[in-house]
Amino acid sequence: MLADRPPFEDLYREYLGRIYAYIRAQVPTAADAEDISAQVFMNAYQAYGRFEPRNSTPAAWLFRIARNATLDHFRARGRRERLRRTIEHQPLAEEDPAAEAEERIQYRALLVQVAELPERQRDAISLRHSGLSFEEVGNLLGCSEDAAKMLYHRAIKALKEAVRKVEQ
Amino acid sequence: MSEQDDDLELRALKRELDDAFATTRPRRGFEDELWLRMQARRPLGSRLRDALGGLVQGIRAVPAVPTAAVAGLLVVVLGIGVLALSGVGRGGNAASTAGSAFNQGDTNHPPTLPGAFGRLPSPRLGSGSSAPPLPAAADPRQLVPGSGYVGPVNLTWAGKLTLDTPTLPVFRYHEPSTNAADQFASALGAVMQSRPGGLLGEYESSDYTLSIRGTVQAPAAEPTFVITAGPSMPEINAAGAAPSDIATLFLAEHSLVPQWPYTADVQSAGGASHVRLLRQFVAGPYGLAYLVDPQGDRYGLEVDLAGNKPTMATGPLPVTLEAASYPVISDGQAIGAALGSSAGGPGAPTVQLSQAEVVYVVVAAGDHSFYEPAFLFSGSFTVNGHAYLERILVPAVDPSQRSS
Repeated sequence: MLADRPPFEDLYREYLGRIYAYIRAQVPTAADAEDISAQVFMNAYQAYGRFEPRNSTPAAWLFRIARNATLDHFRARGRRERLRRTIEHQPLAEEDPAAEAEERIQYRALLVQVAELPERQRDAISLRHSGLSFEEVGNLLGCSEDAAKMLYHRAIKALKEAVRKVEQ
Repeated sequence: MSEQDDDLELRALKRELDDAFATTRPRRGFEDELWLRMQARRPLGSRLRDALGGLVQGIRAVPAVPTAAVAGLLVVVLGIGVLALSGVGRGGNAASTAGSAFNQGDTNHPPTLPGAFGRLPSPRLGSGSSAPPLPAAADPRQLVPGSGYVGPVNLTWAGKLTLDTPTLPVFRYHEPSTNAADQFASALGAVMQSRPGGLLGEYESSDYTLSIRGTVQAPAAEPTFVITAGPSMPEINAAGAAPSDIATLFLAEHSLVPQWPYTADVQSAGGASHVRLLRQFVAGPYGLAYLVDPQGDRYGLEVDLAGNKPTMATGPLPVTLEAASYPVISDGQAIGAALGSSAGGPGAPTVQLSQAEVVYVVVAAGDHSFYEPAFLFSGSFTVNGHAYLERILVPAVDPSQRSS
């Protein structure tokens, strides 16, 4: 273990909650968020030997894995749902009430509004309010720091409008 | 809707988002379950290696007992210093009312024991981004929320910064327990209803609900209480009184008038008022320094009013503060860090930073968190006829005192 690389358990304890919150803002159910969070940390655990702290902060590294896992989830879910609805005419998955009762979430309505934003706007808000700098958000979204700020600014205005419409 | 209302709404939404992401957490037990699953999937060889490593570490730990005893002694000595600072035994009005019982310890004490808290964690300024080591500025350019300008700028300095002190106080508080939150609520006459995830507790009285939250890690925020008025919340009977007086009367009725120094700021629109008691710290010889959030906005205890009726009040949960002085960077280093935080290049607007002040920011760190000094630089500039305000926060504590 390199001296400048903290034990993985430290990272796990520090970031699990933040990664979960980021994922939860993207997906409709707590069960999905748990599955993806588990996948993120399993992947990170396996890849930790290759993590280079000089190139990236642990937060940026973990959020990159989380973003990829969430996008994979949507791609796979899209395929599954399309197949299921075509063949079985089944409705979309709904939240399990028991899981919902156990979940620790205070701002469900607001996170639902965030989840309904276009993908990049949703990502900009979720990553920024998960504690990443604009430079890190830009790196993750493949754009400059200034473009990330612009995207965030547009996203927050869009969210405000969406919240206002719901309140009316 | 006016620009000011629009700006207030955006800021409120950002605060709500901060809270939403800071308090959304998986169900209890999930963290340990997943960790066990991850351990179970590791190859047997690496698990054995760790087990043997732990055994060797355990053997090595045996001679460390005398060191632990010395550490224990140091804790006792520091503990005596802390007790001496906490106001215990000073007489006065301690415990005479709910608020003062807590606020008594929530005052700024003269610093003692230079560097007594050991190495300090680095501030995360700018919604949680890690501050780079000094002399580089921490999350350099903080625009006023809602100002809209996001392009690069060139920075110049045309102000005057004279600190005249090589040290400034750092304040530390212990993370409040659910028990402390319950006592605070009970002293206000509110009864516990539940402990939802992310909160120390939710309580109710006949007129309002009270929520109490612990320290938020990112963006860093201190333990906070929120009072939300119910329909039966009575109006404050003070015909003709200014909003700031009405807010103070309401706080006094609930023994919540701050014991720390503050200045009042009032914004009113359409019968509604937002009263802010902006918190200050006694920064040694520098004098009073405002508390600011990672965006550089001053804050403190806030009361919303609809006419004479309080609708919401939120502020820092009173906690006992310990103080210790720490060496700070020089004026020149601070200015250099601020100017070095942006390189706009040709064509970018030039911002003339003209003001600098010492402020305090929250630095969250596990069981104990801190209020640390920082330099807040600001200057206005114009692009295409629109005026903007630029802010830069630079941590003041000398980098040699940082843990990382």
